[in-house]
Parts: sequence; structure tokens; C-alpha cells
Amino acid sequence: MYAKEMMHQSLPLIIMCGLGAIVAGSTLSLMPDLFEKIPGLLVVIPAIIAMRGNISTALGSRLGSAYHLGVINADNLWNDELKQNILGSLILSFIVSLLIGILAYVSSYFMGINPDPIVLISIVIIAGILSAFILTLMTIIIIFLVFRRGWDPDNITGPALATFGDIVTMVCIFASASIFVGVTV
Amino acid sequence: MIYSWKKIVKHGLPLLIIAVLIEIFAGQILQGRQSMLAMFPIFLISIPVINSVAGNIGSVLGARLASGLHVGYITDSLKDSEMHQNLFVSLLIGFFTYFILAIVIYLVALFSDTVRDIALIEFVSILVFTGFLLICVVAVVSVLTAFISFKRGLDPDDMVAPVVTTVGDVMGIIFLFVILGLFGVGI
Repeated sequence: MYAKEMMHQSLPLIIMCGLGAIVAGSTLSLMPDLFEKIPGLLVVIPAIIAMRGNISTALGSRLGSAYHLGVINADNLWNDELKQNILGSLILSFIVSLLIGILAYVSSYFMGINPDPIVLISIVIIAGILSAFILTLMTIIIIFLVFRRGWDPDNITGPALATFGDIVTMVCIFASASIFVGVTV
Repeated sequence: MIYSWKKIVKHGLPLLIIAVLIEIFAGQILQGRQSMLAMFPIFLISIPVINSVAGNIGSVLGARLASGLHVGYITDSLKDSEMHQNLFVSLLIGFFTYFILAIVIYLVALFSDTVRDIALIEFVSILVFTGFLLICVVAVVSVLTAFISFKRGLDPDDMVAPVVTTVGDVMGIIFLFVILGLFGVGI
């Protein structure tokens, strides 16, 4: 009978993540005008949220393992191992953002909508890189605070990044799309 | 040096490319319903919530099954009773969570003045129906992914979360529009 503990231990966290998602969703609900003005923008939303979630939780869990392996610790955090991890996440974010922009343009083209490829791809790349920087910084701060208290980062980084990740990503898309509406209209 | 950015990119990219391809498909469904979503922004608030809850419950279930399979208190049989209990608790948590969050979303929408022509009971029913249907599918996908990857000698911990969140995102959006159609909203 291990299943019952899932009720006590996971339920509060899942509801908390859901409340975070409501904040992300509220940001999304402010954007219908942007979706109207930038065709194809709505297409990238699920992909960019999924990318952010995958890349940052992978970074968090790699740093958790690095901690358990003794490769990084509270006194020796900013070293080459950490830098390689950050660089890997940023480069992945750039490649995948570019891919999302291209796929959104091509698939929209075949659906009979004709987005401006340069605008669409630029919006995704700016939002992707910006959110990658913010979330990487957040991950390092979380890991640092967790280390100092002697807690296990594996228990904290996943849910924390999942909750903040969606919100940060939505705000970044909102911001980067807003810049282009000013430019193109 | 244990980590190198080249290895991180090389190992991460294949799964991300597959996920992105599927998510673009989900995005095209949203784009197709753009005018309806502009009329009912309350469902734009709901989409990240529907996906987040299903993804989290599916991932927790998968991680629990993975630990059970590794340690041995869960066997890779579809008749395993410990697995059945985990599955049941996941469905229960899903139902409860969607119910609570649906009410919160409605209040947020009411407060930000984005509620149009939809009653609380109707909205909560739509979200709980969509959510429960989604949790059922996601829980089954989670169990199958954990069992199949374990049998093939792959670590279920690496497989379940990406598979479950990607499948959950697409199915969540499809189920939402199907249920909206059944309720006759936005037609």
C-alpha cells in the first residue's frame, strides 16, 4: 500500500503547479490581438512551452545528479562542469527554437495561412533564448539555495521549474511578439 | 570533466525534435480554432492548466512505477495490484485537481472580465470532463511506457516524462474541442 502516500505528497504540489499554469494561461488569454496580427503565433505556443519544460527540467535533473556525484557543491558551484551544462542548454534552446519557427511557418503555409517567416522565426528565437537565460539563472539560484540548506535538489528543481517555466515562457513570447507588432504594423 | 555541451545537445536533440513535431500539430489545431478561442478567452487560460495537471500526474505516476519496477515491488504485469492502486489514486487526484482548478479559473476569468455566455456549472463540467478523459489516457500511456521501456532494458525514468507530457498536450487540446462540441459551445 504505497499508493496512498501519492495523495498526501503529490496532490498539494500538483495543485500548486496548476495555479502556476493559471497565471501562464492568463497571460495567454491577453494575447488574442497578437494572434490576430501575427498569423502562426498560436501554432508555436504548445511547442515552445514543451521545449522549455524539457530542456530546463533536464538541466535541473542533470545538476541534481552532478551534486550526488560530488562534481558540484555549495563551495564549488561555478566551475567548468556547470558551464558545460549551461552552454548545452542554451545551444539546445537555440536549435530547437529555430526548428519550431521553421516548422510553424511550413505547416501554416500548407494549411493555407501565410505567416511572415522572418517575423515568426525571430519571435520564437528571441522568446526561446530569453526564457532559457531567465530559467537557467533561476535553476542556478534554486540549486545554490537548496545546497546551502543541505537538501536534495532532485526533490525541488522539477516542480519548481515546471511551475515557473510556463509563466516565464508565456511572458517571453508575449514580450517578443509585442516588439514585432510594433515593427510590422 | 563529466559533462560536455556537445554530448548534452546530441543526447537531448532527438527526443526534442519528435516532441516539437507533435506539439506543432497541437498548435495547428489551436490555430484552426483561433476565432472561437478569441471569443472565449477563458479556454485560453484553461489550456496550460489542462496540460500541466495531466503532465504532472502522468510523470509522478511514471516515476513511481519506475521506482517500483527497479526495486521490485511492482512487477511488469498488467495484473499487478500495486500498479492498479497507483493508477486509481492518479485518477482520483486528477478528478479532484481539475474540479478545484476549474473553479479557480472561472473566478480569475470573472475577475478579469473575460467570462462571456458561459455559466460556472457548464464551464466546470467541460473542464472536469476533458480533464478526466485526459487523465485516463495519460495514466494508461504512463503505465505502458514504463512497462515497455523497462522490459526493453531502457530506464523508464528517462522515457515516461517526455512521452506523457507530449501525448498529454495533443490529446488535451483534442479532447477539449471534442467536449466543447458536445456541449455546443462556440459553434
